[in-house]
Amino acid sequence: MSSPLTLPLQREASRPRRALIAAGAFLIAGTYLYLVLVQPTDIVGGGGSMASLVSLLGFLGGGALLVGGILPTLTTSSLVVMPLGIALNIAIGQTAGSLGLQIYLDAIGTVLVAVLAGPAAGAATGALSNAIWGLFNPFALPFAAGAALIGLLAGTAAKYGAFRRVYLAPLAGLVVGAVGGLVAAPVAAFLFGAAGTVGTNAIVAAFRAMGDSLLVAATKQGLTSDTIDKLIVFTLVALIVYALPARARNQFPFLRRNRVLAGRTPATAPGGAGE
Amino acid sequence: MPRRRIFNPLTELLAAALVVVLVLVINRWQFSLVVLLAGVLPAVLLSGKPRSIGLALAVVAGPLLVSSLVLHGLFFPEGTSVLAQWGPARVTVEGLEFAALMGLRMAVFSGALLTVMMTASIPELVSTLTHRGWNRKLVFVIGSAVGLLPSVAIRAQHIRRAQEARGLVVGGGLRRFKALLMVSTPLVTGLLVDASERTHMLEARGFSSTARRTSYLPDTDSAAQRAARWAMTVGVVVFSCLWLAIGPAA
Amino acid sequence: MISLECASLIYDDGPTALADIALTVEAGEQVQVVGPSGSGKTSLARLLAGRTGDDAGTIFRGALTLGGIRLEFGDGVHPRIDPAAWSSRVGYVAQGAWGQLSMMSSTVAEEIAFAPANRGMSAGQLRTTVQGIAARLHLTDLLDRDPRTLSGGELQKTVIAAALASEPRVLILDEPFQNLDAGAAADVAAALERLRSAGTGLVICEPLVPERPPGHTRVLALEKGNRVFEGTLADARRAGLRRYGIALEGDPPRLRSRISGSAQPSSQPSGDPSCDSSVHRSGGPSGHLSGKSSVHRSGVPVTGPKDDAVLAELLGVSFTYPGKAAGTPAGISGIDFRLGRGEVVALLGPNGSGKSTLLQHLNGLLRPSSGSVRIDGRKLGRRPTGELAATVGYLFQNTDQQLFERTVLREVAYGPRAAGRKREAALEQARLALAEVGLLDHSGPHPYELDFVRRRLVAMASMIATRPRLWVLDEPTAGLDDVGRNRMGELILAHAASGGGVVLATHDTAFAHAVSDRTVTLEGGRVPA
Repeated sequence: MSSPLTLPLQREASRPRRALIAAGAFLIAGTYLYLVLVQPTDIVGGGGSMASLVSLLGFLGGGALLVGGILPTLTTSSLVVMPLGIALNIAIGQTAGSLGLQIYLDAIGTVLVAVLAGPAAGAATGALSNAIWGLFNPFALPFAAGAALIGLLAGTAAKYGAFRRVYLAPLAGLVVGAVGGLVAAPVAAFLFGAAGTVGTNAIVAAFRAMGDSLLVAATKQGLTSDTIDKLIVFTLVALIVYALPARARNQFPFLRRNRVLAGRTPATAPGGAGE
Repeated sequence: MPRRRIFNPLTELLAAALVVVLVLVINRWQFSLVVLLAGVLPAVLLSGKPRSIGLALAVVAGPLLVSSLVLHGLFFPEGTSVLAQWGPARVTVEGLEFAALMGLRMAVFSGALLTVMMTASIPELVSTLTHRGWNRKLVFVIGSAVGLLPSVAIRAQHIRRAQEARGLVVGGGLRRFKALLMVSTPLVTGLLVDASERTHMLEARGFSSTARRTSYLPDTDSAAQRAARWAMTVGVVVFSCLWLAIGPAA
Repeated sequence: MISLECASLIYDDGPTALADIALTVEAGEQVQVVGPSGSGKTSLARLLAGRTGDDAGTIFRGALTLGGIRLEFGDGVHPRIDPAAWSSRVGYVAQGAWGQLSMMSSTVAEEIAFAPANRGMSAGQLRTTVQGIAARLHLTDLLDRDPRTLSGGELQKTVIAAALASEPRVLILDEPFQNLDAGAAADVAAALERLRSAGTGLVICEPLVPERPPGHTRVLALEKGNRVFEGTLADARRAGLRRYGIALEGDPPRLRSRISGSAQPSSQPSGDPSCDSSVHRSGGPSGHLSGKSSVHRSGVPVTGPKDDAVLAELLGVSFTYPGKAAGTPAGISGIDFRLGRGEVVALLGPNGSGKSTLLQHLNGLLRPSSGSVRIDGRKLGRRPTGELAATVGYLFQNTDQQLFERTVLREVAYGPRAAGRKREAALEQARLALAEVGLLDHSGPHPYELDFVRRRLVAMASMIATRPRLWVLDEPTAGLDDVGRNRMGELILAHAASGGGVVLATHDTAFAHAVSDRTVTLEGGRVPA
């Protein structure tokens, strides 16, 4: 039946712009391989302009292409949680500061959106999050591709059951954090001379004192801090998601379709909250 | 509050981004210093709010600059001209030079972008994106995230007070983790309940329409600025290609 | 204009949300849907708003007819309603204004223009449309304000205006007066009445039968998804709807355990409770009773209770909020306030008079800029708020800001746990508190699965569970239905009878007079002499 008040029964899913997504992924992977394998070792020799330019444009441009490819496919409900995720990334980071926590927790929103709405929404949230954060803190900008990767991996982990058991979530966080650290390291090294925070700089300094090259030191530092951070973030997100009422969860078909969470009744929901 | 409003925020943002690209391409601390003194510094001073920009810069970039000076100044295994040495820490000429290069680069990077963002009006930027016909979903996510930020922070503050009123005392270790959970769970729940209502609201307000979205705010962009943006971009790209082709040899 | 024939509306997981109900709304007509919490008002409103889809978590059987087009639902036929097309005929304003802001508008004008801008209306036309709607709702002065800094009433009008921008002929509003003070509610009601007289059909859902609407309003009363009354407003007032938990606005609460003079505890500090009034629980310390709804003003510390009987004391307390931005709450200045054991004091006054600011000094959420605070005989000093939780219980206006556990029982047990009780003891205390608020049967589900009134009572139980002597209640009856309001009144009286003290801030004067020993009216952060 056709009437001016109704829509066709079959939803037209807008097709993802695969070309854009592929180009974005290719650009990010290519940039990373260029930086690590071709190893522009002259990073500290003054001629590293190519490397820093490539790391900025490659990761930022790749992130932009990914977002451009993903956005048209997202449903309104996924779209509406993305700003929440972005705002949470920044706000919880600040709350963590005011509570006196020593970890950043600046990916909580990204991981949350990824678990609720899927890897695509997670990746877009991560990339846009750092782009928007870059408006207030320019140092966040070049890490957009890394953040997109975190969202993508978190969503994929959720899809394949990493959040069905609470003890699996920290493990997934550990792995995702390691990958994230690896990807972020060249950006930090080539663009800012490995500057992160005072704390991470101290770790880099320790590795440098042992004679590591800047890239290796930055990578080792990324592997240590990011794994711990993501381990905590994934655990936290798992506990939050299990504490959500059905009313807040029901708007996300991704959760239901992929059985992201174990059980529906609170009784079977695993995990105690830090008790 | 006096506000510097000469160009459309999109133009200013692009100009800042291109300055950053130039600094990366040329990659000499002398050039970065010139840009910092001749470009960024006057922009900050003429912005109408040099104090708050200065403060933001000090908070965002200050610690990084200092700690990377320490990092490269003391630990630079590749350095050969040693000036001083204490155990594993060595002050080298190369290390200091590298620290200056990175430090100035970061200073230009944060100085240029922060000055633009702290003087630009975000609503104007969002409306410009709409007027230029950017994807409405992208514009929504950007505009809504920036709009939500202050209220999320306020909400987190309210929740923390509510939890304190029922006995939350922020302690150390696991209790901190618990405190974080006690604040973030109601925060996320409340935001998601709002979000489900907002989803329906967007649908009802015709957000899925395929017509080109319009903006209530006037278009402050101009054809001249659009042309200037293209010209600047092309100019920087051509220059970069030339520089990179000839530069390393030079 | 729009008519609904609902054979049944059933939740996915079993219970019936709405039984057999039919409703037709014509242009320029006003229908008032009343019913207690959980009676199906919101479900009905959502159906009228065209939210019949499977994502609503409900199965609808029946038909909707809008502007001559009839859509039938049920038996495998579930037309997907186009929300954009529907909303240009039927506008919907849901509960809670925040979720209905796009959050991407920096001014009220942009928020109103959001829908037409999505449809691609030209800039010039947008301006005319926004101006026209603002004029109808008397919003013109607010057009350049940031919607996130508006007061409750202004925000509600903004959301209504944003719905009107799609030019609907019928407007559905779910509890539009929730959390508004009398002035703001009257303002919103006047705006709605202007719309109605210009031809817009209105459906307004509320927990109580209101006093406000024009006499020709039709009333539909619901209880547990069933229609229990339909007729004129005048008939509704006489129909004895209170047996269904539907009170008339302005009714005093019904308190089973209303304390007569003899039942009052001996520690009652305010002297002889004058029982000549059926409305006031007792007279004020100065002895004189104010009549009916006129506010009872008493110079606060006139006759203070003896020191050992003092539970809370503010001396010369002033507080100013930093910043002068719009939306900064009102401060207080030179407040002297005493509360004795067994005493109930109600703070009255319009929004922005400093009621909440005063309350927050009682548990250290705010610390005075000058003056001193003593709680239960001890100076407040720098003790953190969290440590006071066992002495002072605080009920926030927005309950949902604190629920974080997966079951009601665990939620309520948090307070005792935080105070250091063993797990079992804490759960036992939680059960006791839940029994007191009448929710022992609801200790298993997630707090958010309960309706608004029960969530409020869960918050009340979590406050009670730590057994604080002083209760500080911010708008305890806001949004409650008759049953919840009565329960709240009884809890307050019982607490006072056991020697505890209660300070509450409220807009509900009938309630204030029924439960309090005296009332204090704040004006501009001061107690007028």
